[in-house]
Amino acid sequence: MFKELDPILHSQLRLAVMSLLISVKEAEFTYLKEKTNATAGNLSVQIQKLKDAGYIDVAKQFKDNYPQTTCKITAKGVEAFELYVKALNEYINR
Amino acid sequence: MEEKPISQQESLLLIQQMIQTAKKEQKDDGKGWIIWGWMLFTSSVLTIANLHLKWFNTYFFWNLFGIATIVIFIYETVGVLFFSKRIKVRTYTKDLFERLNAGFFISLMFIIVAINTGVPPTKGFALLISLYAFWILIYGSALNFKPSVVGAYITWGFGIAALFVKTFEWVMVMHALGVLFGYIIPGHIAYKEFTKLHRTEKAEIV
Repeated sequence: MFKELDPILHSQLRLAVMSLLISVKEAEFTYLKEKTNATAGNLSVQIQKLKDAGYIDVAKQFKDNYPQTTCKITAKGVEAFELYVKALNEYINR
Repeated sequence: MEEKPISQQESLLLIQQMIQTAKKEQKDDGKGWIIWGWMLFTSSVLTIANLHLKWFNTYFFWNLFGIATIVIFIYETVGVLFFSKRIKVRTYTKDLFERLNAGFFISLMFIIVAINTGVPPTKGFALLISLYAFWILIYGSALNFKPSVVGAYITWGFGIAALFVKTFEWVMVMHALGVLFGYIIPGHIAYKEFTKLHRTEKAEIV
C-alpha cells in the first residue's frame, strides 16, 4: 500500500518553491521568481497556498522604499517535504 | 514554470534541480582568500628581504599591512552599510561565515595586541598561523571544499614548525608557506571552479 502524495506539494511550482526553501534559510520573492521562471501572479498564488497549509512563513516589509517579501520554510513544511520525498521514493522503487 | 500536475519521476528531477540551484548560493568565489592570502604572503616575503637588506625596521611591512587592512576594512564597511545590494537569499552557511569571520578578526586582533604587549613575535606569528588554519578548516568543511580542508592541515604543520624555529626570518618563511597552502592555492582553485560554474550557467541560459 503506497502513501498518497501530498497534493499541496505534488504540483510543479509549489514543489520547486519548497525545494529551494529547504536548502536556504530564507529567500526573497524575487529570488524564487528568478529561479523558477514563474510569473509573479502565479507565484503569489502558489506561495499563498503554501502559507495557508502552514508549510512556509511569509514576511512582508518595506526596505529602502521597496516592498520586500521574504519566504521561509516552517518545521511543518520540512516534515511535509521529507514525507513527500519518502513517499516519492516508494512510488519510484516499487 | 507553470502550475501543472507532474509525474513522480518529474517531481524527483525537479527537487534535484532546485536543490542544485540553491546549492550554488553556497559557493565562494575565492577572491577574498586570494587578496588576503597575497597580502600576507607579500608581507612575509618583503619582511624576509628586509631582514637581509635592512631597508627599514623589522616590522615595517607588517605595519604597512596593518594600515592596508584597516583601509580595506573601512572601505568594505562603508560599502556594506551604504552601497550594498539587496540580499535576495540567506543561507545557513553565509550566516555561519559572518560569525566565523567576526570571531576570526577578534582573535586576530587579540594575538596582534599580545605581540605588541610582550608576547615574542616568533611565537605570536606561530599562533597567527594556527588561527588561519582553524578558520580555513571550518570554512572548507562548511563548503565541502577539499583543497581548503587539506590546506588547513598543511598550514597547521607550518604553524607547529614555526613554534620551534629559532629565527624570525624562518618564522616568516613558515608563515609565507602556510598562507600559500592555506589561502592562495585553495583561493585560486575556488575562483577557477566558481568562474567555470557561472560560465556553464550562462551557456545554459543562452
